[in-house]
Amino acid sequence: MGEFKGSSKAGDLTVALSNDELHILINLVEQLLELLGERNFIHHYQSDDPFAQLMAASIGNLESAIDQPEDPVLRRLLPNGYADPESAAEFRKYTESSLRTVKQTHLMYLREQLVFPVDHELPKADIAVTDPTQWLIAINDLRLALAVRLDIKNDSYEQYELMKDSDTQKPLFAVYFWLGGIQESLINHL
Amino acid sequence: MSSQTHLEEELDLSKFFDNLWVTIVWDDPVNLMNYVTYVFIKLFNFSPEKAHKLMMQVHTEGKAVVASGTREEMERAVQQLHEHGLWATLQRDDHGRV
Repeated sequence: MGEFKGSSKAGDLTVALSNDELHILINLVEQLLELLGERNFIHHYQSDDPFAQLMAASIGNLESAIDQPEDPVLRRLLPNGYADPESAAEFRKYTESSLRTVKQTHLMYLREQLVFPVDHELPKADIAVTDPTQWLIAINDLRLALAVRLDIKNDSYEQYELMKDSDTQKPLFAVYFWLGGIQESLINHL
Repeated sequence: MSSQTHLEEELDLSKFFDNLWVTIVWDDPVNLMNYVTYVFIKLFNFSPEKAHKLMMQVHTEGKAVVASGTREEMERAVQQLHEHGLWATLQRDDHGRV
């Protein structure tokens, strides 16, 4: 279940993932990339022309304030920098776009690392962890996103242990705690 | 003459205190304790002991001041903490006010 071998100092850190685990991770990464790619200022300039959209995006960045995202996952990943709403909006205007880009970069890096083994008969693929920091941050963002959807609280593990196997949410909780295990053991291998 | 000096002192003081901003990290149920410690060491060059102590303060008291400086410096710190998925805000340092 995501066992790490080697060390980042020696440059030979790998994590063993089964095909099922790879599928789950890829799916989560792609969903979060899609969510982060949605920008609310596209609505100000409706056009199918990619160049027009690009221009609308840059104008939006420079001149108009950007509202806090509506999706609670985006609110958690792109939080307010100030308690005071006015300062928070001003801060967001100049920082949100680059924060999105940084998060997308980490997730795209992780997506590129998640390659299925050529030999599909292999039970596990040894995935090279070439940049452990990007791995850590990307896995953490996936956990933050899942936690919002699952309404994770301090006692959620106890709640998970009491869940019936028929509970449709149980597999999602399992993935959330599995990612926590991966993150924990990755930190121990730094 | 004496009031003039007094005014200048006041101006200098206000300038000094305006520069005092703090970055606060807030507790959340998701970020792992050793991850938060790791981020503090990476971003602020803290010793493992100091990073651990601040992480525990966030965990037990719900928040901790992790950095202080100019507004621009604290905005950069908050941005970096957000990049790492921690929940952080900046504000004027109330304790620095006379």
